[in-house]
Amino acid sequence: MSFEIPIGPQHPALKEPISLRMTVEGEVITNADIRLGYNHRGIEKVAEEKNWTQNIYLAERICGICSHSHATCYVQGVEKLMELQPPRRGLYIRYLVSELERVHSHLLWLGVAGHEAGFDSFFMYVWRDREIVMDLLEMITGNRVHYAINAIGGVRRDLDAGQKAKVLEGVATLKKRSEYYLNLGGTEPSFVARIAGVGRLSRELAIALCATGPTARASGVARDVRKEDPYAVYDELDFEICTADTCDVLGRVVVRIKELLESYKMIEQMVRNLPAGDIACKAPRKAKPGEVVSRYEAPRGENIHYIRANGTDRPERLKVRAPTLGNYPATVEMLKKGFIADIPLIFAAIDPCICCAERAVALIDARGGETAVVRMSDLRRQAIARHLNAPVKGNAAWPL
Amino acid sequence: MKIAVFLPELLRHLFKKPATVDYPFEKLEVPPDFRGTPYLDPDMCIVCKACERDCPAEAIVITDVNPAEKRFRMVIHNDRCIHCAQCVDSCPTNPKAMRMDSLHEIAADDRHKLKAEWVYVRAVLKPKAAAPAAPAAPPRAGEKAS
Repeated sequence: MSFEIPIGPQHPALKEPISLRMTVEGEVITNADIRLGYNHRGIEKVAEEKNWTQNIYLAERICGICSHSHATCYVQGVEKLMELQPPRRGLYIRYLVSELERVHSHLLWLGVAGHEAGFDSFFMYVWRDREIVMDLLEMITGNRVHYAINAIGGVRRDLDAGQKAKVLEGVATLKKRSEYYLNLGGTEPSFVARIAGVGRLSRELAIALCATGPTARASGVARDVRKEDPYAVYDELDFEICTADTCDVLGRVVVRIKELLESYKMIEQMVRNLPAGDIACKAPRKAKPGEVVSRYEAPRGENIHYIRANGTDRPERLKVRAPTLGNYPATVEMLKKGFIADIPLIFAAIDPCICCAERAVALIDARGGETAVVRMSDLRRQAIARHLNAPVKGNAAWPL
Repeated sequence: MKIAVFLPELLRHLFKKPATVDYPFEKLEVPPDFRGTPYLDPDMCIVCKACERDCPAEAIVITDVNPAEKRFRMVIHNDRCIHCAQCVDSCPTNPKAMRMDSLHEIAADDRHKLKAEWVYVRAVLKPKAAAPAAPAAPPRAGEKAS
């Protein structure tokens, strides 16, 4: 006999506003259904009413953790549209921040994985070490989360010798810690027993379902935009794509820790070889009509922005495909044949970012099944009518 | 595979100082490039409205008070401000009329209290002329300069 259990959009075990409906046979999940749209904010529509400069900050606010990813992806595209060539030093600083962001995102995820697996001291230690990279980011950019370092045609803040030394020092400490975590992640028996074999996704399925980022790489698919389609400075850096072939949550932990080590390597290279010169070039107010697709390897996978310009100072269309959206079909497969207790762990293992992925919302009539467009003013009118017609509240009657 | 690989690390942490700071009593310093609250130096503002145009949060509003006297009012809605400092970058004067301070404990119990307002006469800056030295104590947000 099978049951359907709803998990989310608000649930103590799941910290993201998403609705998962699980069909279970006893403890085993036989089918999963993901419902989106609880965190839709209409950012793409807002972008059409703001100019190119304002939209950098809007794109940055699509997500908190990968804020720099969205802003950089957008800025890359706009620079291509405007045919700008940002100076080398500006690019190096931009992608230095982007690697530091990857470090902070992966450390954050590692802590969350520890927490979901019930290893809370690991979570505390990882997050304490994450403060090192947060402080570095605050020192370079002036803020811990929304760095606002990007400008069209370069970056806004320069890096001096003292800051360079601090970055190298911080990265050396983090490297030591990450090696320890890699060692720990592979040997602590209770942790390994909890995550090994959970949420399996075979290599073939990962390719068929278009999994991206560490989720795909943990299934042995060596796919990374930084290597396959090297943008800006990545063809000058020496790094490797990290993969694992265990195809489970353990693999995703290992891939992310290895990626941390690769990121430290890249940060050191970028700081040591920072070219001299300007950090930004002057950008025009308007872009010529045209369209562009910008790809960027965010910490969670491939991030795609599509931008269309019509010759004015604002975009005609901005479309965002966040990596989490690409990982949803794979997540459904991972959840199948798993246990109910594994749901938070499997779902957390794709490093979901709901606010990145919520790009559209459709209102479907529960009775007729028709899709409708409802204006905000209509919703408000309905809410007021409902409030006026509501019965007077008395003491709550307990039905039993 | 060993049992309790994590134990030595756990024991070592028993004798370490806490990683956190005792916040309200002890404060961390913000970095020099920190983006705090924007404020205006009314002596330098040429009312080009570049800050108003580029502000992503539409937090800056410049209105005419008296067109004959070239008197303007600038209101910075700090409740809408996202502290990106784009207004500082967009400001064309040298030294900048828009600046950022390093305040970060700016919470208030009412969003209307966060509004900062300046009424001032438009500055006329001669090109290449030595700009007036930056005032030692710039007017604080919320203070009215006329």
